[in-house]
Amino acid sequence: MSSKVITVTSGKGGVGKTTVSANLAAALALLDYKVAAIDADIGLRNLDVVMGLENRIVYDLVDVVEGRCRLRQAMIKDKRMPNLHLIPAAQTRDKMAVNPSDMIVVCDQLREIVDFVIVDSPAGIERGFQNAIAPADTVLIVTNPEVSAVRDADRIIGMLEAEEKGPGKLVINRLKPTMVERGDMLSINDILEILAIELIGVIPEDETILISTNRGTPIALEDTNNNIAGQAFRNLALRVDGHDIPFLDLQTKNSFIDRLRSWVNGR
Amino acid sequence: MVHTPTNIRIRGVRDGLLVTLGEGQFEHLCYELESELQQKNHFFRGSRIILETGHRQLALSKLRSLAQLIENQGLSLWAVLTHDTTTKNAARDLGLATRLPGSNTDLDGNQLSPSPTTTTASPDPPPDTPLFRQETLRSGRSIYHEGSVTIIGDVNPGAEIIAGGHIVVWGRLRGVVHAGAFGDETAVVCALELLPPQIRIADQIAIAPPPPEQPQPEIAFIRGNQIVVEGWSQHRSNRTRRDQ
Repeated sequence: MSSKVITVTSGKGGVGKTTVSANLAAALALLDYKVAAIDADIGLRNLDVVMGLENRIVYDLVDVVEGRCRLRQAMIKDKRMPNLHLIPAAQTRDKMAVNPSDMIVVCDQLREIVDFVIVDSPAGIERGFQNAIAPADTVLIVTNPEVSAVRDADRIIGMLEAEEKGPGKLVINRLKPTMVERGDMLSINDILEILAIELIGVIPEDETILISTNRGTPIALEDTNNNIAGQAFRNLALRVDGHDIPFLDLQTKNSFIDRLRSWVNGR
Repeated sequence: MVHTPTNIRIRGVRDGLLVTLGEGQFEHLCYELESELQQKNHFFRGSRIILETGHRQLALSKLRSLAQLIENQGLSLWAVLTHDTTTKNAARDLGLATRLPGSNTDLDGNQLSPSPTTTTASPDPPPDTPLFRQETLRSGRSIYHEGSVTIIGDVNPGAEIIAGGHIVVWGRLRGVVHAGAFGDETAVVCALELLPPQIRIADQIAIAPPPPEQPQPEIAFIRGNQIVVEGWSQHRSNRTRRDQ
């Protein structure tokens, strides 16, 4: 298999790029692929914390680009899986420390070593974003079911088209089925109607994600029976790997009263 | 040594240096442009460059590398004249002008009438030539045109269209539109689904009324000093009645 570089971006901040990156990387590693995750958010690094590897950082992406270390030295091996690696961002520098062609060089080197490179993009549409998408074969756009996040995703898709990086594929994060049912949240269809790109993942809002993020263990690795968020991330990884996996049924079971109410409303 | 004819033409115009890219591979052109600029550097120094790219399609990355190349020679790129939509959009994304001030090219680089600064082989359409696009305008896109604008596709929230004439959207219109932007009160806005946050026609601004329960084509126009919105079928029957 030829290696793939996948960039996770969003435009808006706080929609879950880093969470999706960490879990996608971990879930692909669970499928026995060699995976390297790159934190492209130089100056505001987070991916190391979410992956629980903060205390192992010696060298970072900027050290590689500026030739202070070899690529291998900056690849932190995950404590749970030997086939999962992290290249952290420098915390004391800014986005200008790296340029898009540096990212292409680093990712081309990584293609020799791993099957998947996951690039965690910073928020915004400036240099950091340009760096993150430059090496990408596929771009995943993360959005939330909320008007402002969808509008930013739309802008990002337009920019990707201008850069000839294709429209990208959509990950909807933090979906609350109960709110959608009440009509208080954009539905998957509402979002797809505006963005009109391929949907590749739907992640439900789930407090276990926050807990696992704080603990530094991607939820995708927690394989308990009723862990629906972990399953959603593993399904995302399978779809990225080219499998045709149906989307999870996130709708809550309608109670009798709910059904009666919707019947009365004529829906 | 055989001297290959150059595919780059450089001449001075009122607004700066007009560089016309001819035929040939992009990389070759870059190389030729670089050596041309280098050779005549003492002559060109400090000039601003207007790049004429004709029908050539240049993605953002290519245009950016051209801008960089020009900058490396101590010059600055400030405008791109093109007939290609991708190139035009890329130029706008880089913050470059796509027409010359005071010239007779419209914002889209279309030649409107012969001008002393630029000459192109294209025919000369009248100034209010309509602009036609078949694409979805995503957030952040802006179309400014002196004539009427027709879009086949959606206009998403955060996109805008400013037109001297009418605006017709064969799709869902959710961005901001301004028809008759130079004061034409007869201009109309119509869309299959007219859902903009605001409608502007000539000097009037209106907050769009709530959408009809069933989506239907609608038209917005000025009647008695205010903007009104009517369903298309209603508008048509009203008009027929008036005509009789």
